[in-house]
Amino acid sequence: MIRLTIDDREITVPEGTMVVDAAQELGIDVPIYCYHQALGPLGACRICLVQVEKMPKLVTACTTAVQEGMVVHTRGSAVDKGRQGVLEFLLINHPLDCPVCDKGGECFLQDYTFQYGSAAGRYDEPKIHKLKDAAINEFIIIDQERCVLCQRCVRFMGEYVGEEQLLLEGRGVETVVSTVSHQPMDSQFSGNVIDLCPVGALLSIPYRYKARPWNLERAESVCPHCPVACTTSVTSREGHVIRVEGRPIPGHDWGWLCDRGRFGYDFGYVEDRLLNAWLDGEITSAAESTRTIGSWLNDTLEQHGGDSVAFLVGGQQTMEEAYQIRRFADEVVGTSKVAVSRSVKGYLPLGLNGTFEDLDRADTIVYLGQDPYDAVPVVHLKVRDRYRDNPGLKVIGIGAYDLTRSTVPGDAFVLEPGEEAAFLAYTLAKVAASNPIIARLGEELGDFSPTFKGAKSEQEVETLGRQLLESEHLVLLWDGKDPHMESVLLALRGLREDVTAVLPTFGPANWRGFERAGIAVDYDRLEAFVEEAIQGKIHLLFSIGADLLRDYPDRERAKAALAAIDRVVSVGLFFPEQRELYHAVIPGAGWSEVDGTYTNMEGRMQVAKATVQPPGQSRPVRTYLGSWAHALKKSFVLEPEWDPFDHNAGDLIAKDALPEVQSVPKPARPAMKDGALRLVGTALVMEGGMPSEILQPRIPKYPGRISLADASRLGIGEPGGELGLRGQQGMISVMVAVDERIPQGVLVLPYGVVGSPLNQLGDGAVVEAVSLEEVSLR
Amino acid sequence: MKPEWELWAQEAKAEFPKANSALLPLLHRIQSQEHYLSEDTIRDVAVLLKLPVPYVESVASFYSLYYKNPVGKRIIHVCMGLSCALNGSDELMHHLEGKLGIQEGQTTPDGEVSLLEAECLAACNLAPVAQVNLRFVGPVTEDTADQLLTGEVKS
Repeated sequence: MIRLTIDDREITVPEGTMVVDAAQELGIDVPIYCYHQALGPLGACRICLVQVEKMPKLVTACTTAVQEGMVVHTRGSAVDKGRQGVLEFLLINHPLDCPVCDKGGECFLQDYTFQYGSAAGRYDEPKIHKLKDAAINEFIIIDQERCVLCQRCVRFMGEYVGEEQLLLEGRGVETVVSTVSHQPMDSQFSGNVIDLCPVGALLSIPYRYKARPWNLERAESVCPHCPVACTTSVTSREGHVIRVEGRPIPGHDWGWLCDRGRFGYDFGYVEDRLLNAWLDGEITSAAESTRTIGSWLNDTLEQHGGDSVAFLVGGQQTMEEAYQIRRFADEVVGTSKVAVSRSVKGYLPLGLNGTFEDLDRADTIVYLGQDPYDAVPVVHLKVRDRYRDNPGLKVIGIGAYDLTRSTVPGDAFVLEPGEEAAFLAYTLAKVAASNPIIARLGEELGDFSPTFKGAKSEQEVETLGRQLLESEHLVLLWDGKDPHMESVLLALRGLREDVTAVLPTFGPANWRGFERAGIAVDYDRLEAFVEEAIQGKIHLLFSIGADLLRDYPDRERAKAALAAIDRVVSVGLFFPEQRELYHAVIPGAGWSEVDGTYTNMEGRMQVAKATVQPPGQSRPVRTYLGSWAHALKKSFVLEPEWDPFDHNAGDLIAKDALPEVQSVPKPARPAMKDGALRLVGTALVMEGGMPSEILQPRIPKYPGRISLADASRLGIGEPGGELGLRGQQGMISVMVAVDERIPQGVLVLPYGVVGSPLNQLGDGAVVEAVSLEEVSLR
Repeated sequence: MKPEWELWAQEAKAEFPKANSALLPLLHRIQSQEHYLSEDTIRDVAVLLKLPVPYVESVASFYSLYYKNPVGKRIIHVCMGLSCALNGSDELMHHLEGKLGIQEGQTTPDGEVSLLEAECLAACNLAPVAQVNLRFVGPVTEDTADQLLTGEVKS
């Protein structure tokens, strides 16, 4: 530890700390443009000049490491004069167009000029003009005249994300930030450069000219789109959300967002947003729909009793709403049938659930079934952050295709689809056969042996097994598809003394929060609900924020279930798929419209504040629950409000005891005809979520991915093409493109692609390519 | 990519301990063959030296003697430094622009001549100085200016 004095105050910091960070710890603000803790020192902008006693000249605080006994002055006439000089240089060619700049009012160039700069420039020469609205992609423009060339954006993309899409072009005063070959940048993380830009150069196109910072309201929020639940700050003006920014949590999170989270905020205002109540296909008044649904509830309870009513909760609800729904079901309706609508069958015991801190300490990270870049992009960035700190990080992808990518190189085990759990059990049995539980799992697998696509030897399997046992900090990211994986993970945990943390990358985003609110999320409950509905035992269904047809793994069964229910009521932001199956559709309120708590994949509870009013007739679910209770002449009191936080456990949900290891059966391999493909579902954050017009240009045109060999066999060229598919349960057509990470015989398709529903054929189904004419005739 | 570039890349790499040091000589050698560096060429060079494409692009854009657009067979640089400015480089440039019917920074439509500005060429004794395909000519007077366009050039 090093002791030094900054502005007459002593502080002790670790060796290697930069003066700027030591000052920040004391709460002393040193101006910075180019420096960012995540990127490290550069010393390009020179604004952070400070005076260090016994040093002849001013030094930059961001590149000067602390030294024992150092005495630093961050203010004073010499420092202020130095900063004034730097600002004069930075402003020589700056257009000084703050009055029309989006950043005006929240710009560090403006703030520091106000604080340190001179009132007028001495430079009389004409200014150099550059491009003022050069689009670097669909979402971002750069005003090159306002850029101070701090290089934060270039370094973030190149060094931090590892996707080198920005560069400095030219020399001297003519230098500009530009994209590679002037092509639009397509990284998932492009929007972060807007937050990183300390001046008004990189600007959000959807937010451009929408507001001045002093007209805005801001609310702390949490991104609702995937289980990472990044912390965000939501900006609204006149009742509309107009911007989402990352909200860093010092010491915990850098505040990066993916473009889905940053730009997908307009779902409240898209044309499809439900603004009215609909009864039997007709718009009706809110009062009428409430009365009618109340009478349906009353009649159903009288005729069939409480258990004939079911509740299905989807991904849009807060924990508080889930709690209200559960209490309404218990106390007012008297039914135990509350299920969570979901796409995957697995469950992760809370005791195994790790946190993002585990990623920061990991020496081995294993992706199970899914590439986190697709499903939970910011987790990929956290893995990349760890890889930058620890280049020896071992990354292992285990799935039906190569899950690794060049930004975090790793070792890929490419298996037959759906065999991850069996393969992991098999691997453990090779290296830990003396353990009775592992021995039992090994026996249950019988003569199972994995088939690798791409060469992998038994030797490498053993090495993998030893890595899993010997890793000092093991983190597994699991897609939740195969329910048997739970047992393998429990068994692996039982073998290890060091940390074994699992992070569930599957949704719905707030499922852990629903669990905390008293709604069991296990897939069996959903399955039991669907079965009972088909048998005619459910007479009234409240589907709240859910879309069974979209989520449930078997579309035909979901249809049959909904069709068999007398009355189906949907509360949500949008019409569910095949709205004719619903008797009432009423407009709900969602993220940014209700205060609430969301639990992320760590089991961490985070509060999201409301910042706008629900539009049209849409109302929070508690309003509807209250009025239905009223229709039954029952009281439903929600005060005092439920507090989801446990004051002993803090913001993480308290862990419970681990369950027993169940059995892991030998996977059955379906017969494959020549030229058949196996469908492999994956979560893709750009697909299957809430609609967004802003994101439209980024929704993949070719969401399906196949190998080059299959593509050339099926006549799919560049950039992609449409493929008809026939499975046992029907036909769909899919837009596909080539991905070299996909092995032959596999077609990877995201869940919830509009018009190409994976659940029509089934995840893991064997399908064959058919002509598009055949599909259109279905 | 031309087949010989791979050999050139090997030769350039052999001269230096690190691949990025070999970048400048390789770019020069390829430019002397191609006359300019297209985006495809930049990508090829990045692949040959295993460097990131944006790095090569940044370097190529940094130096004004790497041409990112096609240039003429005869490249005329007119020095804009202080001594040359005092000795009439502006008039010289205007004269050449008028003669060629193009603006500074452009190439004649027939692809023969490119007219470019240069920062101080460090030949103040020859002010106003010009370069024809990098060979110094100066001092250029109104009478001798036309010889820049007609005189024999070595490439």
